[in-house]
Amino acid sequence: MNVIEIKNLTKTYGKARGITDINFNVEEGEIFGFIGPNGAGKSTTIRTLLSLIYPTSGSATIFGKDCIKFAPEIKKEIGYLPSEVFYYDNMKVKDLLKYSASFYKKDCSKRIKELADIMDLDLNKKIDDLSLGNKKKVGIVQGLLHEPKLIILDEPTSGLDPLMQQKFFELLEEENKKGATILFSSHILSEVQRLCNRVAIIKEGKIVTVEKISTLKENNYKKFKVETKVPLDQNYFQIDGVSNLTGKGNVTSFLFRGDINAVLRKVAEIEITNLWIEEPDLEEIFLHYYEKEAK
Amino acid sequence: MNIFIHELKAYRKSTIIWTISLIAVFALFMSMFPAFSKDADEFKKLLEGYPEALRKAIGLNLGNLFTILGFYCYALTFIILCGAIQAMNLGTSIVSKEVREKTADFLLTKPVTRKQVLTAKLLAAFASLVITNIVYIAAATVIASQVKTAEFSMKQFILLSMTMFFIQLMFLAFGFIVSVLARKLKSVLPVSLGTVFAFYFIGAISATTDDEAKRYFSPFKYFNNDYILKHSSYEASFMIVGAVIILLAVAASYFVYTKKDIHDV
Repeated sequence: MNVIEIKNLTKTYGKARGITDINFNVEEGEIFGFIGPNGAGKSTTIRTLLSLIYPTSGSATIFGKDCIKFAPEIKKEIGYLPSEVFYYDNMKVKDLLKYSASFYKKDCSKRIKELADIMDLDLNKKIDDLSLGNKKKVGIVQGLLHEPKLIILDEPTSGLDPLMQQKFFELLEEENKKGATILFSSHILSEVQRLCNRVAIIKEGKIVTVEKISTLKENNYKKFKVETKVPLDQNYFQIDGVSNLTGKGNVTSFLFRGDINAVLRKVAEIEITNLWIEEPDLEEIFLHYYEKEAK
Repeated sequence: MNIFIHELKAYRKSTIIWTISLIAVFALFMSMFPAFSKDADEFKKLLEGYPEALRKAIGLNLGNLFTILGFYCYALTFIILCGAIQAMNLGTSIVSKEVREKTADFLLTKPVTRKQVLTAKLLAAFASLVITNIVYIAAATVIASQVKTAEFSMKQFILLSMTMFFIQLMFLAFGFIVSVLARKLKSVLPVSLGTVFAFYFIGAISATTDDEAKRYFSPFKYFNNDYILKHSSYEASFMIVGAVIILLAVAASYFVYTKKDIHDV
């Protein structure tokens, strides 16, 4: 079953901003990565899902219901963490969380305590006095306190130190195990790689591809680094399936997808001093999605 | 209900300060009344030296200025001016506060409709005005009966005092629609002061002529104190127009806000 279904979603506003013809589904129980550079349209898509902005055309459903028409009903089961968190400054953390909980018809006080303990958050401080990272923690607790079935995170890790980030990811994985579906937007690939099952890549307002992380990382991509005694001719490895070819002095490196024997035969023909064949990380695979066509 | 209570708490401080200020202005004027009425004749002569147009513009009516109600009418122009600023501030912050403090995302991703959010916030602002007026009228009544030199009609006193409430409601509605239409208001005060004083001067100018129709252009002139003192009631035509303006402004604000895109910060 699909928790989120986005059909031909388009939103145009301002100059060059917005999204065009977005299509993808998020299945129940998965952690879905939504990745792209800043300004690619991640937030626009998410804000449309939350009916903060209205689509120009197309539609989206959450839990099978139209996300605009049934917005209040749907939102009972959504936890949202925005990229930048701002709350009523002169409130105490505790009161803000209580206020947040008062919108859901269940007792969240126990969960608030648990989450605050995990995230190491002082409930008695004024929001005004919190650092960016601590405000972010308030956001996390606020987004999760009603145990939502769908968690939508828009660049959630900015401002969190690595230790907290780790705890936060563990928390998300735990929620996911309990059955929550997660839509995780980010421009940091390693986060997505670590957490997500599937990923949609968005670029300049359009979805480039939707794939399983495992497929993307499947062995068809290899990262080669060849060291030779003398600098190689730049185009020596320019064969089918090679990308990101760079030569630096005696070291030539590239990504390869295809029949690995073809490369190895080329390698065998030259005198080499060292050879590395590695699994590339997503960053490198996605690099070509990120580079603007115009450039 | 939770939004209503939250908002009301947020307004608590400003409601208290405005209420005390209004009472203070009233008390200040009334403290002058005994001395003023004692030397009535001399003041009258002095004030008659002013051009008539100026007296009309600032609301001086020499015919009744030396009765407590007549004196109150004069004081009211200033008190209502303050009240209008309070109401306009409240109205303008209803939506703009969420945008400025960037809490719109918080509120609008909760399981509530935008209409519910607006209604709760509007009601909280309304309640803040109701509280202000109840406390103000109660305090004013007590003070007035302390300084009175002769008996006066309590009904007329309260009718006069309540004109502030109705004028405030109009400014609340103005502020509301301004805050909905503006994409982002950096600060509420310039907008509300500007609007209030603009209407105040329009009202002052229209008072210098005897053209009744011009009174419709300024909320400050919807209530004619002389009429109230004479008939112990308000003028129906102005009450109706005022109510229609409020309803239209509020309805338009709802319409615009429910259709509006809430942009990223």
